[in-house]
Amino acid sequence: MVNLNTVRPKNGRDYYIALGLEGSANKLGVGVLKHPLLPQHEDGDLSFNCHAEILANVRDTYITPPGEGFLPRDTARHHKNWCIRLIKQALKEASIVNPSLDIDVICFTKGPGMGAPLHSVAIAARTCSLLWEVPLIGVNHCVGHIEMGREITKAVNPVVLYVSGGNTQVIAYSEKRYRIFGETLDIAIGNCLDRFARTLRIPNAPSPGYNIEQLAKRCANKETLLELPYTVKGMDLSMSGILAYIDSLAKDLFRGNKKNKTLFDPKTGEQKVTVEDLCYSLQENLFAMLVEITERAMAHVNSNQVLIVGGVGCNVRLQEMMQMMCEDRANGQVHATDERFCIDNGVMIAQAGLLQYRMGDVVKDLKETVVTQKFRTDEVYVAWRE
Amino acid sequence: MLHPTATYSLPDIEPTRFVVNPAEARFQTTDGKTTGASPHVLNAGQVDRDKPSEPRRTATGEMTPLGQLRANLTGLQDDINEFLTHRMELAKGKKD
Repeated sequence: MVNLNTVRPKNGRDYYIALGLEGSANKLGVGVLKHPLLPQHEDGDLSFNCHAEILANVRDTYITPPGEGFLPRDTARHHKNWCIRLIKQALKEASIVNPSLDIDVICFTKGPGMGAPLHSVAIAARTCSLLWEVPLIGVNHCVGHIEMGREITKAVNPVVLYVSGGNTQVIAYSEKRYRIFGETLDIAIGNCLDRFARTLRIPNAPSPGYNIEQLAKRCANKETLLELPYTVKGMDLSMSGILAYIDSLAKDLFRGNKKNKTLFDPKTGEQKVTVEDLCYSLQENLFAMLVEITERAMAHVNSNQVLIVGGVGCNVRLQEMMQMMCEDRANGQVHATDERFCIDNGVMIAQAGLLQYRMGDVVKDLKETVVTQKFRTDEVYVAWRE
Repeated sequence: MLHPTATYSLPDIEPTRFVVNPAEARFQTTDGKTTGASPHVLNAGQVDRDKPSEPRRTATGEMTPLGQLRANLTGLQDDINEFLTHRMELAKGKKD
């Protein structure tokens, strides 16, 4: 059995406090998390039910003008110049007066992600650790999403669909690892949506994917889907070709290219398709692919639970489609969280990091804190589960 | 007050040392020459809301020790960035 109380809280307290720092992409998140020290955690498989209390969850997003993505240099600059301000705000919200005494561990995202932004946040984490003499933990970003989702939804052993701007994976736990059952072969789903939003030149605030979702909701022609490539390949999927195709449709639409028979009636020249139709069809097509591989993974591992995590996971249409699939399976359940926890945040890094810390994992040399752009979910040894 | 220094060393070159000259303006600001927003995003219409805060000063107008350190590091970072950019240009010239 797993003993989550292997390392006791500091100063004889009956609770742990972790500070979590996230900055692997354009969101900078700082979270403060509290776990009570409970006897049932000494002998059980209860890492999904830590009775976590969120003391602070603050975030600032680097937003670029419409049509632009976020460049590593400018994103790193954003994180560098906001990190201390956000840490101060989070500590104030959490009523942490003396971090040296009150914080058990500082958790930061070690990877995967964009190198320069990861680096900015790792420097802040190292500085706080040295300044306050508080141990450090490097956390896998994907595992952070999974553990936060499990804690919030209390899903015991779900198949995890992890969908974000940088990752698209179907994951299931087995023998101390989160195993990847299927994933994208090229770009992530959030990247596909973000890049299409750039083509449409719609705002990047609050997020490009959210704005596509709103446009898709306004589609007046939901009965007629545009035919797009459907590229499920075994348990994997591919989205770059779909993006290239729908990008070309959007460009023809903006140019008014009447030779395009998909968009314009060849006889009358009347426009048949709107931007809203494109957004709706793109979402339906991509989400259907995700639902298909998730269902197959559920059948493989004989699970009836799905947990959707990652920024795209707060898309209500994706949740609806997953719900429809689960309703057709015995006791099928969909677990998802809202934007506070789906979108990158500091609390999820604190949650996964605190689980690692409670099992005795801690950085012993600052050399171990070097960030890495490539850090696969299945590289992490999950000591806190049976 | 002690000032930070930096040393860049590689097997193929003599170590290069970067030092702070407190009299120079670039060591008295947190707004660095090479650490601003990239021209690409500014040309695209980005409003820069991510500037570093000014170095903190005491009631008499002097920088606090931490403010001084931040300003010193900004100047050092500029020097290092210019040095590395020059090295990259040299390396690119060799390839061409």
